[in-house]
Parts: sequence; C-alpha cells; structure tokens
Amino acid sequence: MVYRMCGDANLAEDAAQEAFIRAWKHLPSYRPRSPFRNWVYRIANNAALDVLRRQRETVDVDALPLANSGASPEATVEKEERAARVRQAVLDLPDASRAVLVLREYGGLSYKEIADTLSIPIGTVMSRLNYARNRLRDLLSPCLEDI
Amino acid sequence: MNGHVTPWLAAYHDGELHGRRLRQVEEHLAECAACRAELKELQSLSALLHESAAEGLMPAERFVAQVGLRLPRRPTKPAWQRTLETGWRLAPAGLVGVWAFVQAVFIVAGVVMIALQVYGVDVLGLQQPAHHETWLTAALSLLGARLGDTTLTILKELDMLRWGLTFYLTATLAIVLLYWSWLASLWARRQHQQLQAQAS
Repeated sequence: MVYRMCGDANLAEDAAQEAFIRAWKHLPSYRPRSPFRNWVYRIANNAALDVLRRQRETVDVDALPLANSGASPEATVEKEERAARVRQAVLDLPDASRAVLVLREYGGLSYKEIADTLSIPIGTVMSRLNYARNRLRDLLSPCLEDI
Repeated sequence: MNGHVTPWLAAYHDGELHGRRLRQVEEHLAECAACRAELKELQSLSALLHESAAEGLMPAERFVAQVGLRLPRRPTKPAWQRTLETGWRLAPAGLVGVWAFVQAVFIVAGVVMIALQVYGVDVLGLQQPAHHETWLTAALSLLGARLGDTTLTILKELDMLRWGLTFYLTATLAIVLLYWSWLASLWARRQHQQLQAQAS
C-alpha cells in the first residue's frame, strides 16, 4: 500500500518501516473498537504522506526514476514503461484521492473500511474515488486501449 | 429502463451494491451497451493498476531485520524490579485469596458456635454467669439495671457477635480499599504509558 502511495521503492521501504515502528510504539493506545487492519492502514497512510512530504523538501519526487534502467527485451521494456506511467499517474493524484484509491484498489478495503481508516464520510470516499478514477482514465487513456 | 445507472457503476464494480439497487443495475447492464462499456472501462483501469507490480522492493527478511534494528530497545529491569512487577500483577489474586480466607474463617466459626450451642457444649463459658463485665453489661449496670444469668449470657453472645462482625467488616473493607487502590494504580499506569506513546 505504501509503495502505491509513494510510487518509489526506496521511499516505500522508508514509509513501511516508519509505519511498523509507529504501530509498535502506539500499540498500547490501540482500542479494538475498529479492526486492527484499518488502524494499521491509517498509520501506514500517514507514514507514507510524511515520507513524501519530507522527500519533497529535499528532492523533486516527480523527477524520481520510475522505470527500471536495466536492459530487457522489447515487450518487457514496453510493459515497464507502462507500469512507470501508471505509477506516475497515481503519484500525480492529490494525496487525499490517492489514499482512497490505493486503499480500494490495492488494499481491497470496502467503502466503510476506508471511511473508518481515514475518518471521512462514505460520501467523501465515493466522490474522491470517482475523482481519482476519472483523472486516471484521462491520464492513462492510451494505456487503457492496450488492455 | 430509461435512465442509465452511471452513478452506481463504480459502487457496482467495487461490490458495494446490494438488494434492490444491485438487481436494478444488473438488469440495466443486460440491456444497455453504453453502461456496459462504462463498466468495462472501470474494469480495465483496475486491471491496469494491478498490472504494474511492485518492483525493486527489498526481500521481506531484510525488511523485517531493518525494522527490528530501528525499534526502540526495551531497558532490561533488575531482578528485584521484575519480582516487584510480578507481585503487583498478582496482587488481585492475593486479595481474593485473603477475602476467601476471611469468609471461610467467619463461616467455620459460626458453624462451630452453633454446633456447640446445639449439643450444649460450653467451651467458651457462655452458660456461666459472667464473671467479668462486657461493655454492654457495664453500661447497663451504670444505668442501675439488674441483670439475670440468662440476660448476661445473651449479652455475652451479643458481645462476641459484635467483635466477630467488626473483624469481618474491617477485613472486607480493607480488602475492597486495597483492590480499589490497585485498580487506580493500574489506570494511572495505563495513562502514563499512553502519554509516553504519544510523546514518542
């Protein structure tokens, strides 16, 4: 999930480690009113946003290399380029919409679980998800034709 | 059906529709090519998002090891502190044990007294006229009352009952107070831990 939020393996590893450490430290404050998974996702989401924020202060995230530079057959290169474009498109979404999209598409959370995790109403979940999907459809329309 | 179900397609795609609305969307999709195309786009987008696998991430073992290295170390406590901690955790069990003991003593003493009275055994000298004064006989004497042997025996029994009850109530109250103190300290510890977790 943090990988999809950060769009970069190194940043994602930092964020995931940060999330685990925060979860460990805050474990005594966890109350089993909400599912443990939602609680961890919330921490992971915040950790990913923090890592991105810190990174933006020093490095331009948009300039991070997204495609693998290793030599590969033509088909693989094409697939990797498409994957890089997808990652970049997800990364270009606003933080709030990206969090909802990532939790839905990659986390597999229901609308209700996303609403609980991000402390937002279900209506907001739906509108942010719609916004994110419409924007991705615009940005990735050439790739969508190949699917 | 005349109207399209576009506003519900995303929820349908995400498996969030149920009951009547779900049937309505399914029936509409069966006869509307435009909405089917819209749904297909949503499905293609999901497929595209899942196609780009996470690459270049470190192996899980290395990740776990790195997280382990970054976790704060727990300070090792000396043996006496660990013993004290264990004792503190077991305090409620101890209190329950003491309370059960007090109850047992009180019940056994009561049963023995009743049995002795029934069989007429006068181990405690209750049937004898009182040679020493109890607090109640002294008070009644001061008021000028004349007390017979039967009255004195009853008063002596009442006096014993009073001491027994006092012991029982005092012990119970002490146990309850100690248990409340333990609960209060438990609450204070948890608050302290939460504050520490928030501060870190």
